Amino acid sequence: MPEPPNRKARAKSAPPTQENRDSDRPTLSPPFDVEAFARATAAAGAAPAGEGPPTVRAEVRAEQVTLTNEVELEIARAKSKRRTTPPRRANTPTALSMANSRVPSATNVPGARPAPAVGAVRSPAAPPPPAATPPAADAEPRSMSPSSIEAAVLGAIGSPAPEITERTIEDPIAEMRTRFSLGDYSGALEVAELLLAEDPADAEVIDCADKCRTVLEGMYAARLGSLEQVPAVIVQRTQLRWLSIDHRAGFVLSLIDGSSSLEMILDVSGMPRLDAMRILVELIAQRIVALR
Amino acid sequence: MERVIGIDLGTTNSCVAILENGSPTVIPNRGGYKTTPSMVAITEAGKRLVGHIAKRQAITNAENTVYAAKRLIGRKWNSPQVKNAVATSSYRIVQGPHTDVRIVLRDKDYSVSEVSAMVLQEMKVIAEDYLGETVSKAVITVPAYFNDNQRQATKDAGEIAGLDVIRIINEPTAAALSYGFGKNYEKTIAVYDFGGGTFDISILEIGANGVFKVVATAGDTFLGGEDVDARIIDWLVQGFKEEHGIDLRQDRMALQRLKDAAEKAKCELSSVRETEVNLPFIISSGRNEALHLQRTIDRKTIEDLSADLIERTIDICRQTLADARLEKEDIEEAILVGGMTRMPKIQQAVADFFEREPCKGVHPDESVALGAGIQGSALIDDKQDMVLLDVTPHALGIMTQGGYFEELIPQNTTVPTHRTKIFTTSRENQTAVKIVVMQGESERAEDNELLGEFILTGLRRAQKGAIEIEVTFEINADGIVSVHAKDLETAKEQSIEVTASSGLTRDEIKDMIDGAKDYMVERRSTEELEATKQEAERLIGEIERLFPQVEQIVAASDFGRDAIEKARAILGKARQAIAKREVVAIKAEVEGLSRTHRMFKGVVAKTH
Repeated sequence: MPEPPNRKARAKSAPPTQENRDSDRPTLSPPFDVEAFARATAAAGAAPAGEGPPTVRAEVRAEQVTLTNEVELEIARAKSKRRTTPPRRANTPTALSMANSRVPSATNVPGARPAPAVGAVRSPAAPPPPAATPPAADAEPRSMSPSSIEAAVLGAIGSPAPEITERTIEDPIAEMRTRFSLGDYSGALEVAELLLAEDPADAEVIDCADKCRTVLEGMYAARLGSLEQVPAVIVQRTQLRWLSIDHRAGFVLSLIDGSSSLEMILDVSGMPRLDAMRILVELIAQRIVALR
Repeated sequence: MERVIGIDLGTTNSCVAILENGSPTVIPNRGGYKTTPSMVAITEAGKRLVGHIAKRQAITNAENTVYAAKRLIGRKWNSPQVKNAVATSSYRIVQGPHTDVRIVLRDKDYSVSEVSAMVLQEMKVIAEDYLGETVSKAVITVPAYFNDNQRQATKDAGEIAGLDVIRIINEPTAAALSYGFGKNYEKTIAVYDFGGGTFDISILEIGANGVFKVVATAGDTFLGGEDVDARIIDWLVQGFKEEHGIDLRQDRMALQRLKDAAEKAKCELSSVRETEVNLPFIISSGRNEALHLQRTIDRKTIEDLSADLIERTIDICRQTLADARLEKEDIEEAILVGGMTRMPKIQQAVADFFEREPCKGVHPDESVALGAGIQGSALIDDKQDMVLLDVTPHALGIMTQGGYFEELIPQNTTVPTHRTKIFTTSRENQTAVKIVVMQGESERAEDNELLGEFILTGLRRAQKGAIEIEVTFEINADGIVSVHAKDLETAKEQSIEVTASSGLTRDEIKDMIDGAKDYMVERRSTEELEATKQEAERLIGEIERLFPQVEQIVAASDFGRDAIEKARAILGKARQAIAKREVVAIKAEVEGLSRTHRMFKGVVAKTH
């Protein structure tokens, strides 16, 4: 990569705090029963100091995972984007405000396993969450996000949610160009789409957005392989509701019937091809779906 | 002998059948389904989707998905049915250049016949794939109430799809044919047809020597199984709203899933007493949580939800019998047609009304297509004796003084027929009369369909009512209507032949035929490319699987190293050809890949 990311924009962001560093922690299971801990602390009203989480946190941070695969990075970025408050515009008409921190994991709790102690949604008719077994026989055990877990714990003991900080991009065109030149196509596309919302006729931005989409589609297509392949859901039907996916992925999942090819699913998804491809890659990466 | 296929071009689903070894057979589509949704969509990328694939994205791509085009075919822009469709359809309907109707998909206008042709073309492909030969002749069914323009528009759709439509027959007639095929019935039957989008009731007389006559027909073009689906969706949406405070209708993806689930639940409840609707991750709560919909629905609930719809169908049956001056006792058999008639409550309602158990001897989804297939075969096979007597679906007459409609040929009159009536002048010294030919049942002329008009001139100047004009209506066996007006005093005559029009010119139809041909060529070449590509990819996969073993074997010997290099080169060239999507190049590589695969298999087999 020729240049580091936009320093100017970064300079305006809030200094790293314990809380926003925590929100970037990796996806690893903590070595204790989180749900039990959450229930216990919720019942007790407060956790006694020195019990459980503090020592675990340090261990988790030490095992930070580095994503090196470009596609995985894009998936992670997309996930992060969905969990993040949409970038807000600055007061000045020429500037764009971009959120630079992820939404606190407290809002991201229920995903993998709804825990009643922290107010996750569960249908009255729904069965209790399964024990800590993998959802499918051939699927590897899925880990819960530590940030989600900690949020569950923090939520249970009434800890305030971490703050969301913002930064302002004074020159979004330059930001878009920089991101593109750095190979951050997803980020460049994000800025381009914001710019297009203000000026849909900007030729340079349209061109950049198109290029980004082409590159990203190429990446996902390479990951998916032949679009004639037929995806199949490998998670048991009864276990589906405990997966950590959003409603868009849920929709794509509902289109997978074991006989429709990837191409057909992309056709019928009704969402932009790029989004549908990203979700499919994500479902495969999470071992919810396998290709035949 | 050339095969003739029978096509039931339905409002919601279509079906194709043939007579095979003397037995009528429905042809399944590629997915194994015997019916294909009559839906057409154009994707964002401009790809045409027809059938199940179009249905699966019908809500998420609602503006560009056409359903129930049959409600619009052959209708004029200003007809009440078109106005209703404009108000309720998710796709754009606009006025065509000849007061006809056009549908806008991805900024391109399509005539309704063109859209129906896409469905017919799909049915043709299904038949061709099954038979392994080109099919060019077809019998297509239409509702008994279709007027001449609608029948002509359906014929045009067939022509655009590359089919020679040798006969258009009425749906209840086709169902009755399927019911009476091979049996020597002589009875009066009622065909209760409750499909996905429409309801029809027809009374037929099956006479000796295979004569089928439609005695009466009526229906509702906006009443069908989809209305029941809508009720179930409402019930699910309401329940979810009460539980979570979220209206699922606001989210298209959620609505698409609800639609599919509602239809599935409806079908299941015909055979089981309760079923579960389980839609995980149906919507986001807005707090980064996905909510699930899980509800159990039982048969009683769906019966309550659809009770008034069922009652509407019975009301129409009652009215139809009254119009035909028939009593319930006159009906010797009630035949159930259409998917909705699987619902036990409907079967009970029909049994209660006709005071007899309905016949379940015909397949509700397939009988119409099977009947069309039987008729198609009979038309090319002289050995089969079958006479179909059809009736005029609507009354024919002329407009008279004050904007009234004077009927000459009543509804349900068997064709061919002719009727004559004497009219007089309505003004003093009137020297010309305008004969306005119409079709319909309303006393008010403006509510009926205009078929044509002409003027009879040269009348003697006289007091009003003094000049007598004889008007004769004639319908020949081909359904062509001619109207003659004759001044009885001078024997001066004027006439008109009413030719049905779909609203398309010959040039337009020719362009559409060319477009459909181009589409088929492109589709077939894409299919060929995909099949060749898949074969190449399969061989590449097989060779790659054997490669390590062969390499190991070759490494231990003094021979075969160049063969390994050659195999690598072949794999590389094949991958390049696949990437370029060139069918000729891929085909050329498949040969090399097959050779390599055989060689690798041989090497491994010999070693083991």
